[in-house]
Amino acid sequence: MSVSLQSEAIDVAAEYDQLVGDRPGAAVATFTGYVRDHSDAHTVSELELEHYPEMARKVLENLGQSAAERFGLSSWRIVHRFGRLAVSETIVWVGAVADHRGEAISACELMMDTLKTDAPFWKREQGPAGEQWVASRDSDTERRARWQSGEAQ
Amino acid sequence: MSGGVKITIKLFAALREALGESEFELDFEVVTTDAVPIDVASVKAALSQRGADWSEALNQPNLVHALNHKVVFIDALVSEGDELAFFPPMTGG
Repeated sequence: MSVSLQSEAIDVAAEYDQLVGDRPGAAVATFTGYVRDHSDAHTVSELELEHYPEMARKVLENLGQSAAERFGLSSWRIVHRFGRLAVSETIVWVGAVADHRGEAISACELMMDTLKTDAPFWKREQGPAGEQWVASRDSDTERRARWQSGEAQ
Repeated sequence: MSGGVKITIKLFAALREALGESEFELDFEVVTTDAVPIDVASVKAALSQRGADWSEALNQPNLVHALNHKVVFIDALVSEGDELAFFPPMTGG
C-alpha cells in the first residue's frame, strides 16, 4: 500500500515479496517496465527521467488508493524511477493483490495507463542525434480515457 | 486597496530548459478587489511579459498547469503562498 520514487534499480523479487507479505490474496498481478533500446524512429542509448517529486508522490498515492477502492485490493505498490537509466534497466513496477485475477490484472492496467499521462515524469532520450525530450503519445491518452469513459472496467 | 501576492513558480522538462529557470518566487502586484481575482491565466499573462521566449513557451497548446500539486484549468484561482507549476504533457512509465 505504498509508493516509492527512487533513483536506484528496482529489486523486483524484493518488491514482490513485500507486496504479497505473509497474507497473500488469491490473485497477484504485477507489471514491470524496462527502458527500450529504440523509440519510433531511432535507437536509444540512455534515458533521463525528470520528475516533480512532491506532485509525483501525491498523484501515485491517490492512484494506488483509487485502484484499491475500485478493485477491492488487499495490497498494492507503485515504484517509479528517476534520474539516468541505461537500456534494459527497470523503470517502473506496479503490483496488485486481489481475490480474483480480473481485479488484480485490471488494477495493474489502470495504474499503468493512468501514471503514464498523470504522473509528472518526463523522459529525455539519448539517441544518435543527441538528446531530445520524448513527446507524449495519443495512444497513451486514449488508453487513459478508456478508464474514465467506462469502456475499461 | 493594492498589495502583492507571493507565489512560487516551478518549471519542468522542456519548459525549464527553454526558459533557464526551474523555480522562483513571483511577487504578483494586484489591486485586490473581488472583481479582479488572480487566476492561472493572469499569472501566465504576467510571465509572458518577460519576453518572446516566455510568451511562446507559456502559450503552447498542450501546456499543463498544476496548482499545489494538482492539475487545474486556466481559471483556477491563485492565492498567497501557492505553488504553481508549468510543464509539457507527462511522459512517465
